[in-house]
Amino acid sequence: MDLKLKNLDKYYDKKILDNINLELNDIGVLALIGPSGSGKSTLLRLIAGLEDFENGSIELNGFNLEKNKLDEFRKEVGFVFQDHNLFSHLTILQNICLVLEKVHKRDPKEAKKEVEVLLDQFGLIEHKDKFPHQISGGQSQRVSIVRALAIKPKIILLDEPTSSLDPVLTYEVLVAIEKLIDQKKNVIIVTHEIGFAREIADYILYLEDGKIVEHGNKDMFKNPQTYELKGFLQKVLTFNAAD
Amino acid sequence: MTKIWKPVNYIIAILLYLAFFYFVLTTLKINLDFEVYYEYRNLIFKGWLRTIQVSAIGVTLSLVVGLILYFMSQAKSIPILPILAEIHKTVIFSTPLIVLAIVAYYFIGTAFGVDSRMIIGILTLGLYIGAYIADIYKGAVESIHINQWQTAKMFGFSKYQTYRYVIFPQVLKSILPPLAGQFALTIKGSALLSLIGLNELLNEINVVQAISYKSIEGFILLSIGYWIITIPLIMAVRYFEEQLHVRVVK
Repeated sequence: MDLKLKNLDKYYDKKILDNINLELNDIGVLALIGPSGSGKSTLLRLIAGLEDFENGSIELNGFNLEKNKLDEFRKEVGFVFQDHNLFSHLTILQNICLVLEKVHKRDPKEAKKEVEVLLDQFGLIEHKDKFPHQISGGQSQRVSIVRALAIKPKIILLDEPTSSLDPVLTYEVLVAIEKLIDQKKNVIIVTHEIGFAREIADYILYLEDGKIVEHGNKDMFKNPQTYELKGFLQKVLTFNAAD
Repeated sequence: MTKIWKPVNYIIAILLYLAFFYFVLTTLKINLDFEVYYEYRNLIFKGWLRTIQVSAIGVTLSLVVGLILYFMSQAKSIPILPILAEIHKTVIFSTPLIVLAIVAYYFIGTAFGVDSRMIIGILTLGLYIGAYIADIYKGAVESIHINQWQTAKMFGFSKYQTYRYVIFPQVLKSILPPLAGQFALTIKGSALLSLIGLNELLNEINVVQAISYKSIEGFILLSIGYWIITIPLIMAVRYFEEQLHVRVVK
């Protein structure tokens, strides 16, 4: 995956992202880490085309988000939300099939077959006829991952997919994400799971106060160059040690 | 145990209600006599059918008008549309239906050369109730969590697809109870159209009351006439609502 961010600014009431510049080529898994409120989820949502930005440009795999039609872009990008965001009135199977049938114009029978195979792979087949409120948070998040995968996207974006889950359910979801990566999907993930990021990511961005403070490959966890990342890792490691 | 007692409780409650009216009638020493009403049964029945006809078309129209007003109020790219919708709703909310019906028939209808009481009556009901229904739609759509919209957007649903497959099915459940109330209001509101001379149930009952001087009997029949329409309608909506709930919970 190629990602180009140029002079990117985003405001809500205050500046959330401040002059983000980045050029990455041929990256498989990109992880966005940083403390809460650092702007990492906002950056992911901008890359997904879910929100507008005030200044700058975003180019993902040569696709300029400002200049091109987002409808086509969205057909090639899967997104896993923080709170799974499944459609509450549809069963698990319908949740996934609806996207395939209505947006991707797939044959309903074929779509159903494919989705059932995916649900089976992710250990969810026995829940296919249940509604989202009838399954656990971890299962819902895994369904959300299957939904993102089912559209056969070139890239999958994940926005803190384990933030609202307990450790057991978090483990279930992380295993599911590993399966995604095993399928050679390009992934951009926002996560608080630093150990997981270190394990899966080819490249890591560390954000703080709306800026990319440090970025690089896994080595940056061993030898952080900035005071901010050192402090962040120290806090995370302290908590891990306390656990 | 509860299942057995439920109908019994219903029957007791209805009997209590009837006993109350029986007390009123016997205290006033009124002897009910429906003979003249029986003679004019065909006229009354036609009026009742006319009420159903006007109400049914009025309700259908109000659902469409409500939807149009709702989408007008959301059309941010054409700023005049939300203002027009707001003006319509403000006029409707602040004017009695009876005044609107008279203005619509004697002034607007005359100005446009339309003298069909039926058409004016249906349009008045549809535009009047539609304003309230627009707000029911608005409240229900706003109650849908933002993440449902975002998900639809992210997966490439068009605006129409988002409403059709994501929002509307979820909205349906929450709009049914207030819609049932509006439907009942529409049916009862049709009685006001007697003032523009529409031959619906109230108007025909008024005719027989004038002939027979038996007004209480007329009002009893009038009430029963409306109950036959509104009570099954409310029960049907409740049943439909329960079915939707069961489908979601199952």
